[in-house]
Amino acid sequence: MNIEERVKGIFKKVLDIKPEEIKPDVKLDQALGIDSTEMVEISVGLKKEFGVALADNEVKKTHSLNEIVNILKSKGAK
Amino acid sequence: MEKIAITGMGVVSPSGIDKRVFWANIKAGHSMVGNIERFDASKYPSHVAGQVHELDAYSHVSSRLLKKIDVFSHMALVASELAIQDAKLDMTKENLKRCGIFVGNALGGWLYAETELRDMYLEGREGVSPFMASAWFPAAPQGQISIHYGIKGYSKTVVSDRASSLMAIAYAARNLIHDKNDFILAGGMEAPVTPYALLCCNTSGMLTKRNNEPGKAYRPFDKSRDGYAIGEGAGIMILEPQKRVKSRGAHVYANIIGYGTTTDGVDRINPSSDPKELTRAINMALEDAELEPSKIDYICADGAGTILGDVTETMAIKEVFNSYSKKIPVSAPKSMFGNLLGASGALDVITTVLAMENSTVPPTINLENPDPECDLDYCANKAQSKEIKNALIINRGRGGINVVLVIQKP
Repeated sequence: MNIEERVKGIFKKVLDIKPEEIKPDVKLDQALGIDSTEMVEISVGLKKEFGVALADNEVKKTHSLNEIVNILKSKGAK
Repeated sequence: MEKIAITGMGVVSPSGIDKRVFWANIKAGHSMVGNIERFDASKYPSHVAGQVHELDAYSHVSSRLLKKIDVFSHMALVASELAIQDAKLDMTKENLKRCGIFVGNALGGWLYAETELRDMYLEGREGVSPFMASAWFPAAPQGQISIHYGIKGYSKTVVSDRASSLMAIAYAARNLIHDKNDFILAGGMEAPVTPYALLCCNTSGMLTKRNNEPGKAYRPFDKSRDGYAIGEGAGIMILEPQKRVKSRGAHVYANIIGYGTTTDGVDRINPSSDPKELTRAINMALEDAELEPSKIDYICADGAGTILGDVTETMAIKEVFNSYSKKIPVSAPKSMFGNLLGASGALDVITTVLAMENSTVPPTINLENPDPECDLDYCANKAQSKEIKNALIINRGRGGINVVLVIQKP
């Protein structure tokens, strides 16, 4: 599974949504009504899944899925 | 006090989630107390409880939200929706800045809390869900109800142990009398059937250990009683002042007409062996209702099922009602579904309103050999037909909290 699919899997688990509801280029708060607490849970999920260090607020609800994938790649996620 | 109307009721209980099912089970005297099966409780001294089934079948709450809230908030949301539907309210057309929420519970949301605490010790800080912050605390259901409907009026969560929701309902009525809101969602919720909450309840020493006969475990006023069985659930009512009831032509189930509260100031767990403060609370409520004791047709008792609780409650009733006390049916319908702790008052009010509506006194079940010191008419085991115009409801919390409410059939 590529990085994008694995990130979608975390969104699906935390938000209980269908993967197709996530549009790659739309900001998460606009696309999914995501709140800051949900974003904390997603951030923790990403850290566990990819084994990368993410500071508080490094991934934000104003990011899109593609932006989050790029942040993870820049930190060496594969 | 000025009369405040009850115009809608929503119940989530071991005896049923719909009020019709609830009343059918109450009237029939069915016990819904059973063995706890959702986790291994067999080593707890008391491991029987009244448990809610089929909550999901009645739920309008999204699975996404359910991940963020404790079950006590879930039950409160379902009960609120049932109450709103029952009162025929369209929340989209109400001024929600003038709508309040007054609710009570004793414990908070422990299933969520203890699960996350386990994760914290196993996985460290990051193992804890960030929703923990907003899920476990006693005011969480108030918050969730307010978010769901967009309610923005004067609201309050009351924590007064087993008297919490009866006190919240009384506070709500006072709030409407002072014209702080147009209408209020009032009641309570409790979810004590979790490993840690059950343990805490057990250590209070007030729970029944009659585990081999769950249906007979909770037996208020019986000589062989040994405490109460806990129960889970929620009860929410819609309260409105008379002016608004008339203007919208709402159906009134009953009116709240009197309230009294005192504290014993004696023991941190048990009620005082001298019932003078409970007596004073009952008199205070009657005075507030401007009713003579002889006008009361039914008393919905606290019915703790402990020796001290049952005996002192009986003494207080006899002190207030004198010779008339033997003529008033006094019952503890919670013997059928368990003691819902902070939510018990809400269920007691709903049960009493249904008793008025159906002209039927609900029974105290498992009353086979009354304690000689408990010599009132407890409506043993079988419902009785009776017109009920005025009823008095008693709740008592640990730490010596006494709350009494008087309600009247319109």
